[in-house]
Amino acid sequence: MNWNAVGIALMLAVGVVYPFILPGYMTVGITILLFVGWATAWDTLGGWTGQVSLGHSFFVGLGAYVVALGQNRYGLAPWWTVLLAIGAAAALAYVWGRITFGLRGPYFTLSTIAFAEIFRLIAINEKWLTGGATGVFIASLPEPFGIDLFSRWTQFYLALAFAIVSVGLVALISSRKLGYELRAVREDENSAMAAGINPTAVKLKAFMLSGALTAVGGGIYGIFLSFLEPHVLFNVLLSVQIALTAIIGGRGTVWGPAVGAVLLVVAGEVFRTTFAQANLLIYGMLILAVVLFLPRGLVGELSRRLVRRRYARSIKS
Amino acid sequence: MSGDLIPFLQNVANGLLIGGVYALIGVGLTLIFGVMRTINFAHGEFVVLGMYCAIVFNQALGWDPYLSLVIALPAGFLVGVLVQRLVLSIIGDAPEESSLLATLGLSLIIANSLLLTFGGEPKSVLVPYASSTITMAGEVYISVVLLLAGVATVVAIGGLYLLLNRTEIGRAIRGTAENRLGAELVGINTKRVHAMVFGLGTMLAVAAGVALIPLLFASPTTTGGVFTLKAFVVTVLGGLGNIGAAIGGGLLLGVVEVLGASYLTSEYRDAYGLIAFILILLFRPQGLFGRTVQRV
Repeated sequence: MNWNAVGIALMLAVGVVYPFILPGYMTVGITILLFVGWATAWDTLGGWTGQVSLGHSFFVGLGAYVVALGQNRYGLAPWWTVLLAIGAAAALAYVWGRITFGLRGPYFTLSTIAFAEIFRLIAINEKWLTGGATGVFIASLPEPFGIDLFSRWTQFYLALAFAIVSVGLVALISSRKLGYELRAVREDENSAMAAGINPTAVKLKAFMLSGALTAVGGGIYGIFLSFLEPHVLFNVLLSVQIALTAIIGGRGTVWGPAVGAVLLVVAGEVFRTTFAQANLLIYGMLILAVVLFLPRGLVGELSRRLVRRRYARSIKS
Repeated sequence: MSGDLIPFLQNVANGLLIGGVYALIGVGLTLIFGVMRTINFAHGEFVVLGMYCAIVFNQALGWDPYLSLVIALPAGFLVGVLVQRLVLSIIGDAPEESSLLATLGLSLIIANSLLLTFGGEPKSVLVPYASSTITMAGEVYISVVLLLAGVATVVAIGGLYLLLNRTEIGRAIRGTAENRLGAELVGINTKRVHAMVFGLGTMLAVAAGVALIPLLFASPTTTGGVFTLKAFVVTVLGGLGNIGAAIGGGLLLGVVEVLGASYLTSEYRDAYGLIAFILILLFRPQGLFGRTVQRV
C-alpha cells in the first residue's frame, strides 16, 4: 500500500471540509497550509539535499511582489504572474546557487542570509521597482468565473492546492532517481561524484524547485495579505520560521515539514495571548529540544522507531 | 588642511572607532569558533543582553553604562559558561550545523524573552557627555562616546591578549584550539577550556553592548540579528578563527560602512559589508589576512 498516496488523499479530504467545519478559523487554516507548502519546498534543498538555507523569505517576497506589481502596474492576472514568478524564482535560484554552491555547510547558510539581506535592502530602497518601504496595496483583482480572489474561502483552497502539490511533488521525487541523487549528495558529495552524480547540478535542481515552489506560495500569501511591506515579506525571521518548521517536523521526510507546520502554527495560535509578538519563543524552545533530544525531527524519529520495532518483530517471528 | 581632507579624516576616525567595537564583537565570535568549532548564532543577542544590562542599571540606579560593566562582565561570563555546559556540551562533536541550530534557537529565546520583559519599543541610555567632542589635529572632532568605546575595545582586546599569551589558562586555550586530542593527552581539561572560552566570548560581546548603548537604540528582536551578521562579516573578512584578523576585519568594516554611507548612498550602509562578505567567501575563504584557517 502506498502510504504517501493515502496521506495526500487524507489531506485533501480534511482540507476540503475544513472551511465548513471551522469557518471561524480560516486565517489559521490558510497560514498552516502556506507553511506546509513552504516548509516542504524548503526541505527539498535543506533536508533532502542537506543545504540549509536561511534566505527563503526572498522567494516568498518575490512571488508576492510579482503578483501584486503585475496586477497593479500592467493589469496582468495572478494566474499569469504566478507563472512569471516561478520562472523568475528558478532563474534567480540558478544564479544564486551557481555563485554559492562552492561553499559547504555553515558557510553556505551564512551566504544565504547575506544574499537575502542584500535583496531586502534593494526591496526597501528601490522605490521605482517595489514601491519602497511604504509597501504596495492590491486594490483590485480579476474575478475568473465570478470567483472572488479576496474571499478567504478562495484563498484557502488555493493554499490547499499549493500545499498538496508541494507534498505530492516531494513524495513523487523521493522514490525517483532525483530523490536518490539528492540524498547521495547530502550524505557525501565525494562518494556521490564517484557514483557519477554531479553534486552542483543536483543542488541546483533542488534549489530551483525549492525557490519556485516557495514563490508560488508567496504569490498566494500576497493576495491573502493584499498589503505588501518589504520588511515583512523579506524578513530574515520568516526565513528562520520556514527552516525551523521543516527541521522540527523532520528534515528529509515527506511528512515532517507538514507536521511541523501544523504543530507550530497551532501552538503559535494557542499561546497567542500569552506571548503576543514573542511567538518565535516557541520556535526557539522547540528547535533547542529537537537538536538536543530528537536530531531527526519529530517525524524522522518516529519513523525510525517504527522501522526498528517492525524489524524486531520480524526477527522474533 | 584642505577642505576635502578634513571631512574625510573625520569619517575615517569615526569608522575606526566604531570598527573597534565591531572588532570586539568579532573577536568573541572568532575565539569561540577557533577553539570550539561552534558557529554561534546567538552572539548578537549577547551584545543586546549587555545593552539591556546597562539600560536597566541606568534607569533603576542612574548608573553610567560603563559602571554597569562591574555586573555585566561577570554575569556575561556566567551566562556563557551555563550555555556551554547545559546546551553545547551535550551536542558535543555533532556536525557544525547542530551548534548553528542550537545557538539559533538560543538567540530566538533570548530575543523574545527580552521582548516579553521589556516590551518592543527601542531603548537607549542618555549620558551627560553624549554630545561632547574633543578636537584632534586642529579640526577633526571626535565624539567622547565613540572615543570611550574605542578605549574600552583596546582594554578588552589587550586583556584578552595577555590572558591568551601570558597565562597558563591561555596556554591551555591555545593548546585546545590547535589540537583538542593532543591537549587532552597532556592533561588539559578541554571541557573546562570550552566552557571558559564560551564564557569569555560572551563576556566580550556583553562589553561591546555596553560600549555601544550610548550610541544607538536597542530593540529586543532586531538589534541582535544585525550584530550577529556584522560579527560574521567581521570574522569572515579577516579569516575565521584568527583573533588578529578579526581586529583588522572589524576596523575595515567600520571604515567601509562610514565611508560608503557618506560618499555613496547611506541607504545601503549595511549592504557594503555583506557584499564584501560574499566576495571574500567566494574568492578568499581564508580571509584577507589569513594564511591558514585554524589559528587562535
